[in-house]
Amino acid sequence: MAGTGKAHMRPDGDVILTVEDLTVEFKLGKDKIVKAVSGISFDLIRGETLAVVGESGCGKSTLGKAILQLPKPTSGSVNFLSQELTTLPKKELRDARPAMQMIFQDSISSLDPRLPVSEVIAEPLRVWNKGNQVEIDAKIDELLNAVNLDPAEVRDRRSYEFSGGQCQRISIARSLTLDPTMIICDEPVSALDVSVQAQILNLLQDMKDRYGLSLIFISHDLAVVKAVSTRVMVMYLGKVCEVAPPDELYRNTKHHYTKALVGSVPIPDPDRPIQAGLIQGEPPSPLDPPSGCRFRTRCPAATEKCAAEEPQLREVAVGHFVACHHPIA
Amino acid sequence: MTTTTVTTVPTTKSARKRPIGFYIASTWLGLMVFLAVFGPFLPLPTWNEAQFEFLGAGPFSAPGHLLGTTNDGYDMLSGLVNGARISIFVSVVSVTIGGLIGGVIGISSAYYRGKFDSVVQMVFNIMLSIPNLVLSLALISSFAADTDEQTATVARRMTVLIFSLTIVIVPIVGRIARGSALQWSNREFVLASKSMGTPNLVIIRKHILPNVAPAMLAIAFLAVGSVIIVEGSLALLGVGIPGGASWGSMLATGRNYLEFSPHEVYMPALAIAFTVISTNYFGDYVRNHLDKRESKI
Repeated sequence: MAGTGKAHMRPDGDVILTVEDLTVEFKLGKDKIVKAVSGISFDLIRGETLAVVGESGCGKSTLGKAILQLPKPTSGSVNFLSQELTTLPKKELRDARPAMQMIFQDSISSLDPRLPVSEVIAEPLRVWNKGNQVEIDAKIDELLNAVNLDPAEVRDRRSYEFSGGQCQRISIARSLTLDPTMIICDEPVSALDVSVQAQILNLLQDMKDRYGLSLIFISHDLAVVKAVSTRVMVMYLGKVCEVAPPDELYRNTKHHYTKALVGSVPIPDPDRPIQAGLIQGEPPSPLDPPSGCRFRTRCPAATEKCAAEEPQLREVAVGHFVACHHPIA
Repeated sequence: MTTTTVTTVPTTKSARKRPIGFYIASTWLGLMVFLAVFGPFLPLPTWNEAQFEFLGAGPFSAPGHLLGTTNDGYDMLSGLVNGARISIFVSVVSVTIGGLIGGVIGISSAYYRGKFDSVVQMVFNIMLSIPNLVLSLALISSFAADTDEQTATVARRMTVLIFSLTIVIVPIVGRIARGSALQWSNREFVLASKSMGTPNLVIIRKHILPNVAPAMLAIAFLAVGSVIIVEGSLALLGVGIPGGASWGSMLATGRNYLEFSPHEVYMPALAIAFTVISTNYFGDYVRNHLDKRESKI
């Protein structure tokens, strides 16, 4: 369960992002270190949507920000488009930023309430001195049309005049301004209601096809993940549990934690018996994570081996990797 | 997918009714500023030339002296107009300088955090723990005190007075700016801006400053009011602007003749009171009004 290893890496593919042994730690006073992300490795192939799932506090968002070097990770390597970001000088890192963008969960907070929508979207262009006013205006209209907002109607309004879903459309438009290669979506639909979620997911899919993007999709919602991803990485307490394509992951779940996560997706059927107690309790504190496998304290199949030895990722089926000493048969 | 229709909150500009207090406060402040700027050009008796035919005349009792004269024969109205000039100049200058310094320190310490922030916080706390009246008294008596040989010049007194009041304003505005900037720096749009490669100074200028400005403006208005009061208190203690110039100095002189010409005390006192109430009201209004868009979310 929650282990390390690089068996799931695909060095032969058209890899745009390689993350190796990434750790992020935060100091909390003396001798107290929160290990938010401990030794994560993965890669992202061009055109892929990698979903990162896990419960709250498992380090998903921290991972996303660490890839963007905001803040820089404690150790490990992040190689994006053949550039090692962690050791890149400040200026070159800035030059690398337009290719990687981020969309956030709180869509309203993602937009400056003082700026009209046109300025929000034009901001990246102005920062990089791209185009004159006419070209910028044309780009704003193009992007607003792309995210299905009427430019004439929304250009001069400010973020507080919009709903959460509309704000998320504007955020997506802004993230597309600099023609990025990769967008990290940090729970982009978690704060939206279900009908709007579907619209935003479709929009992300459309934008991905239209602009040739690769996405890292951070979420805790397995139903959403199933709809958008080509590969799913399950995280628990800063470690990787299982990596597989979504259909394989749901059909042939190998990890006890993934099973619990899949089992917790509500199924809209009133006659279905309630499945309670898949896993008990809270995740352990990242201040003092358990030895060996990090999931062992809540795992039904835990043995002494799990406490002594950290499981490594290994392939159990084609493209399906699990880090567990006792995977589900 | 079709284009979604945009439903919006009615624009804030249309048909907003301002409370009556807003008009009273802004009229009073406008009048004071007008008097402070154009006072010397108004057809009034010279404020520091005694009119010996009228000593201690009450309001509306002496021709040519609308608000009467002081016990020494100075014209009340022109005294008050000149007082507005001094009081408002002293408070606006010290609040502007102190606000700018405090704002820059507060915002940058909140944005960059780290050791710099801890040091700034400690310094602000130390500065706030010194009573402002004591600080001003100490500074003026050390650097601009009357000696046996000569009395301190008006310019020197004024400089030291403004300097000491500026020191008082810096941590007040600085703390407010820091608190507000801290909150805005953690918003996602700042992170988004960083992720697109915006330089820090541009982020501060474009995203932090415009959002922090209302809180700073509100506290600055409150500060103008309190500075006028501090200046008055110092004058009462005998270390104000020499020569009975400011409202506080008028009070200090007038209290000696309280039984003969009470209007010599209550008129500058009322001027101070109205101005302080107006700046406080205006400060509150600015804050409530400019924060509206945020609270609506």
